Amino acid sequence: MTSSNDPIIRFKNVVKRYPGASTPALDVPEFTINRGEFFSILGPSGSGKTTALRLIAGFEQADGGQIFVGDQDVTDVPPYRRDINTVFQSYALFPHMSLRANVAYPLKMAGVDKASIQKRVNEALEMVAMEKMADRFPHQVSGGQRQRVALARAFVGRPKVLLLDEPLSALDLNLRQQMQHVLVDLQRKIGITFVYVTHDQGEALSMSNRVAVVSGGRIQQLDTPNAIYYEPNSRFVAQFIGKSNLVQAHVSGAGAGGPVATVCGEKFALPGVRQTGPVNLAVRFESLAVTKPDEPAPHQVRLMGKVSDVLFLGHTCEVKVKCQDQEFIAFAPARRDAMLAHGQDVCVSFNPDDCAVFND
Amino acid sequence: MTDMATSFDAGASAKARPARRFSKLLPQLPLFVWLAILVVLPNALLIGTSFLKAAGGSVVFQPTLENFSRAYQSSGVWYLLARTIATAAASTVIAAAIAYPMAYYAARVLRRGQFIAVLLVVIPLWISLLMRVFAWRVILGEKGVLNSFLMSTGLISEPSSAFLYNPFAVFLTFVYVSIPFIFIAVYSAIERIPHSLVEAANDCGANGFRAFSTVIWPLSKPGMAIGLALAFLMAVGDYITPSMVGGLNGTMLGMVIASQFGIAGNWPYGAALALILLAAVTVILLVLFKATQVPGILVGEGGGGAPAPKQAKTSRERLMRTGGFVLFLLPYLFLYAPLMIITIFSFNAATVQVFPVSGFTLQWYQDVLNNGALLTALNRSLYVGLCVLLISIVAGTGFAILFAYGKVAGAHWLERLLTLPVAIPGVVLGITLVLAFQLLSIPVGIPRVVLGHATFVMPVVMLTVLGRLRRLDPALVEASLDLGGTYGRTIWNVILPLVRGAIIGGALLGFTLSVDEVVVSLFLTGTQPTLPVWVWNQMRFGFTPSVNAIFVCIGVFSVALTLIARHFLEPKGTEAR
Repeated sequence: MTSSNDPIIRFKNVVKRYPGASTPALDVPEFTINRGEFFSILGPSGSGKTTALRLIAGFEQADGGQIFVGDQDVTDVPPYRRDINTVFQSYALFPHMSLRANVAYPLKMAGVDKASIQKRVNEALEMVAMEKMADRFPHQVSGGQRQRVALARAFVGRPKVLLLDEPLSALDLNLRQQMQHVLVDLQRKIGITFVYVTHDQGEALSMSNRVAVVSGGRIQQLDTPNAIYYEPNSRFVAQFIGKSNLVQAHVSGAGAGGPVATVCGEKFALPGVRQTGPVNLAVRFESLAVTKPDEPAPHQVRLMGKVSDVLFLGHTCEVKVKCQDQEFIAFAPARRDAMLAHGQDVCVSFNPDDCAVFND
Repeated sequence: MTDMATSFDAGASAKARPARRFSKLLPQLPLFVWLAILVVLPNALLIGTSFLKAAGGSVVFQPTLENFSRAYQSSGVWYLLARTIATAAASTVIAAAIAYPMAYYAARVLRRGQFIAVLLVVIPLWISLLMRVFAWRVILGEKGVLNSFLMSTGLISEPSSAFLYNPFAVFLTFVYVSIPFIFIAVYSAIERIPHSLVEAANDCGANGFRAFSTVIWPLSKPGMAIGLALAFLMAVGDYITPSMVGGLNGTMLGMVIASQFGIAGNWPYGAALALILLAAVTVILLVLFKATQVPGILVGEGGGGAPAPKQAKTSRERLMRTGGFVLFLLPYLFLYAPLMIITIFSFNAATVQVFPVSGFTLQWYQDVLNNGALLTALNRSLYVGLCVLLISIVAGTGFAILFAYGKVAGAHWLERLLTLPVAIPGVVLGITLVLAFQLLSIPVGIPRVVLGHATFVMPVVMLTVLGRLRRLDPALVEASLDLGGTYGRTIWNVILPLVRGAIIGGALLGFTLSVDEVVVSLFLTGTQPTLPVWVWNQMRFGFTPSVNAIFVCIGVFSVALTLIARHFLEPKGTEAR
């Protein structure tokens, strides 16, 4: 899971506005995607992630700035001369062509000779396990199968970059997880750069080398899935990725051992925090431990509270605990014999290291 | 009838899920009665009559093949058939060559004002066909606009008679009449193609032209075929246009057929000729639909949408863009030339329609109010139109609901059979109806006209509603039944509100067709002429410019009505897409 520093796509001061909108749909001063990377653009709907993809594909033109593929400035290059292919959200398979003809289409456009077309189409269909249905038409196969054919059509021409626009959003959960494996495998096998647009954090985190979290047309954070998950740099990222408690705290920098935070009357050292006064701490559900008062609490900061709600999720429970005026939600292991109950007194504990601090 | 989905997913009706009790036979009874009386009987009589003998102007019940052998041996019939089909086919193809690029431009290049672009093509349809053809006579005649123009430019010194009363005039008029039909069919086909398919083609390396030829063109072919078929049928079954602008050399087979039921008084021979024409037309249409068939089904409703706006960056691009727009506007000039003639002469002081105009007057508009016969005919047309609408809406919607939810056995074929009158050339349809109504002793005049028009207006309403019903989520009906709605209340409270738009759309189109119909009506009206039939008589025996005035009024009224209807019916903010 390493990414070389060999940029394949580079945005330079790219701005895209849609007519009638007051703020730009996308405003990216600088941004690169490296060769061979599985790169995800993650954001809520309307965040500008699809705009970014359409700019790379060439369906939209930027109002300012430049886009490079390798060393070539492609800002004004039409989509059909870009060595980049897209897997559309709607799949956009040509309804009047068989699946085979759909996959052959880009090769035909590129003027590849017939014998090679046939060979490469068969290979591509085999890679997505669709070779047996090659002569059917799009309306005769299921959504998941269409999706796989759309994928084959996009990579059969071996483009430099493959763009995927929420390709799994129309599939059911099982199929979605299955396709995630197919995509990761495929990306390793053919070694093409994947740029994957999604609003599903699970997809982004599980498949990508790097993730860009976008919102309001801007990149909020660009990092490895691990860093994005554990070191969110803003309240938005913390809330958008995973499940986090937002805890109100007060920081005073007076003490000898550096800054000290107070949560629900409990004081603890919070190294590395510059600002003082009221701040928000993001603490992930799984970083909180809920224990009975008589058990030893595993973490450093301990707060006493009462269970107000328990959701049984199968492998875990989601426990809501009220401590003074704040509510915490924690994942607790589900235990058949010793379930937590409403109104029970419990201890909530966490480590200061697991807190991300924002003042926004 | 512009709905290509109906031909695509006709087989789906068998799979329609809900409503077991709909399948009881009783509700299907009206359907079979309609089929028997208005479709099967007339055509059976046509076939039957063609095998009978004629003697002294009446039909003798004595089987014979005489009529066919006479037609077969007549070189004139073969020649006329060939010329009729050649003229109709050529004019349809040329009309398509003009209408297709227009429709493409309106659907995929124009970013604003699609509604206006479409409306402007449709408006000429509301001005009587007869009037438009008559206006062409004014343009092409010896003292006409074209001659005056050519003489003023010095290209010719003497007014030429080469433009009118010949096959070319017929051809030109057919092209003119066909353009709106093909435009509408192609526009609705292209507009439906999701833009993502074009993007996918570009993405796969196809440039603009190849994306068009591999995606847009094949997907719009079936829609275009419907437009071509409609235009071809209209031209082939038309005996009015040739007799107005064709002269002796422009005679078409339809005129000969019609005359067998009129002056010549040989019904069996006319029926035989009609069958021959029908057979030829059927073969041609089958070939057309076969040739334009496209495999696969466009799934999902992800509608067209205009392409992403792009700025023209170089001056060459800007020039091409402006040039494209100018080219797009040219056919509108062609479409509106006759309308301008009608308007100009409605204000012209002279009674004869020749240039130069003699002076401004409002006299013709005043005369409309004093012209009893004209007002009676107008009244009658509106009355007929409303009766036809009432019948067509009730029957068309009912049949559509039956086909969509009723599990009618052989629905696919019954549906085709019901729409048959739309696919029969006007002159042939008129004859079959005369034969049937004569047998059933339905009185000549309004009853005949109403029933006759209903045969081709009802399918229009039915197909529009059916197209909408088939796109509805079947779960909606199930939900209503599940929540305690009876079948009747489900139809009333769920289905009808959802298809209201389709009913209104189909009804408006049907009303237009009925009010303007002349080819079939001439066979049915007797002494009670509808407005177009009255105008037709006027044109032959003493034309008054009041007719111009009334059609200017009708045109203005229709446009106003459409704009008002659009204002109230359409949800806001759909235009700026």
